[in-house]
Amino acid sequence: MAIAFSDLLQALKRCAANLVRPPLATHDRKAPSTLVVAEPTPPLEPLRRIVLADEVSRTLFAEFAQHRQGDRGKEEIGWDLLGLRRGSEAVVLATLPAGTKRDAGSCHVLFDAETQGFASRVVRQGHRQLTMLGVVHTHPGSMRHPSSGDYRGDVQWVANLRGQEGIFGIGTADGSPDGVSRQPEVHRQCLGELGFSWYALGTNDRNYRAMPVEMTPGPDLALALRPIWDELEYHAARLDCLARQLNRVTFDVVMGSRKQALAMSIPLADGTRSLRVLMEGREIRYLVVTPDGPLAADYRDDRIDHAVFVLLAELTV
Amino acid sequence: MDFRPLNELERKELVSALRGNAEQGRAILLDRRDTTFAGSTDEVPDDEVISAIRSVPCHY
Repeated sequence: MAIAFSDLLQALKRCAANLVRPPLATHDRKAPSTLVVAEPTPPLEPLRRIVLADEVSRTLFAEFAQHRQGDRGKEEIGWDLLGLRRGSEAVVLATLPAGTKRDAGSCHVLFDAETQGFASRVVRQGHRQLTMLGVVHTHPGSMRHPSSGDYRGDVQWVANLRGQEGIFGIGTADGSPDGVSRQPEVHRQCLGELGFSWYALGTNDRNYRAMPVEMTPGPDLALALRPIWDELEYHAARLDCLARQLNRVTFDVVMGSRKQALAMSIPLADGTRSLRVLMEGREIRYLVVTPDGPLAADYRDDRIDHAVFVLLAELTV
Repeated sequence: MDFRPLNELERKELVSALRGNAEQGRAILLDRRDTTFAGSTDEVPDDEVISAIRSVPCHY
């Protein structure tokens, strides 16, 4: 994209003027489009620290412990990490679980990437700055460092990430079961017998670098999806197709008739109505939301993408 | 035409926007009304994230 330098200077002058104006009233939602954030994002540098939102840390420890109690507790498990990559730090703000459709055993884990990919769409609806930061996985014994097999895959994969670096966590259950939290080393966090050791790897690195890890108050933005993860796994492929093909599709987690449900909304062209699909367990309900209230569509089809296009055709005037 | 030195904030924004565009492909935003510079964006495209997720290798 070519931009005249004079235009840049002209706009910067306007931006500076905006910064000294009185702040907008909170009810004024029409912010001028030339208003830019005062804090520019620093350019990316090599990673020097990892910052975990505290809810992210709690999610990792809780789900690792829960996994070990389950039927597949002897298998390795893992999570994708989403967050912000800025300056020399990676700030982790969301965890995407490996999922029940993962391919895993006692010595390997391959995540259910289809469901995770769609889940990332849902999480990033309101957080477009989130990027893929790295991966956590567990080891069955006491090896707190990624394996040579991990390195062979990761060193190529990190080329896909911002800064061409990724962060990697290794979970082990080799501590003392005293229930106490501690940080014995700058790159290691422990809670009872569970621990996570943190590393970074870039495309030119010959080995993982131990990475200091810190915590900050903050959310796990993907935690709200856990109650509907079954629905995500069941419908991910078809919903992802719809998200690619239709503009302004949105997804929400709502309360269903028995449990939380996944809801998809597609605004119609008339600007007043929308098509809404509620997914709760294996049950799917299609609604047309009008200014006078929702209307249930007398239509059944488990193929959500097929059903949506049939209903959109019916609703087209 | 008005010429003056950039202040520190303006200089940082300009350098950050141009470097982000050159090194990481970040969009430089234009005001839709007059196409003037309106800052840069940290938004990450869906395809970039999903492509990275789908290419996560097996871990051992």
